[in-house]
Amino acid sequence: VARQSHQKQTPDFYDKYGNAVLASGATFCVAVWAYVVTQTGIEWSLSPVGRVTPKEWRDQ
Amino acid sequence: MLATRVFSLIGKRAISTSVCVRAHGSVVKSEDFALPSYVDRRDYPLPDVAHVKSLSASQKAPWSSLSIEEKVELYRIKFNESFAEMNRGTNEWKTVVGAAMFFIGFTALLLIWEKHYVYGPVPHTFDEEWVAKQTKRMLDMKVSPIQGFSAKWDYDKNEWKK
Repeated sequence: VARQSHQKQTPDFYDKYGNAVLASGATFCVAVWAYVVTQTGIEWSLSPVGRVTPKEWRDQ
Repeated sequence: MLATRVFSLIGKRAISTSVCVRAHGSVVKSEDFALPSYVDRRDYPLPDVAHVKSLSASQKAPWSSLSIEEKVELYRIKFNESFAEMNRGTNEWKTVVGAAMFFIGFTALLLIWEKHYVYGPVPHTFDEEWVAKQTKRMLDMKVSPIQGFSAKWDYDKNEWKK
């Protein structure tokens, strides 16, 4: 049965701008957090397990 | 004293809604909630009134003689949106998630400010060399040897366990 939609649904705010808001919000969030985590010099104190090679500490 | 008592006419509800509407130049249409109304709701499938109230001549004849298009026309007289139409999803989630991520990103700006203006210098005990010596000393002391720190170090192969 060929159904005719009785009125064309005009695009609402979310149809018009949803993709732009989502993309720009996500890009901004990822970019600024990547900067904070890597470039600001904040010490995150990550666990040495699996990451740090132990070094001799006793004075010879 | 109640503000509505001060403005005595409004306090006594002597100004009717229709007068207020006329004063606005009938920009605002107020619904009389005392009257039966039409709603598109899936939990109220048969509303109190039809969407549009007139019936043309052909529709007063027996309905089995109508074509499909005319039957759909009858449907649209009684109902505004179909169930599929009223239940349709939206793209609202994109705006919600995008805005949320924007504000989470804004928080990172606050952290940048805090690091610059509030935090002092990072203590020397976080230097790479110091941490490496500290790690070996912890392993030499067998810190948390059962399930924790040293348990993850392979003392035979001299490397972290995989």
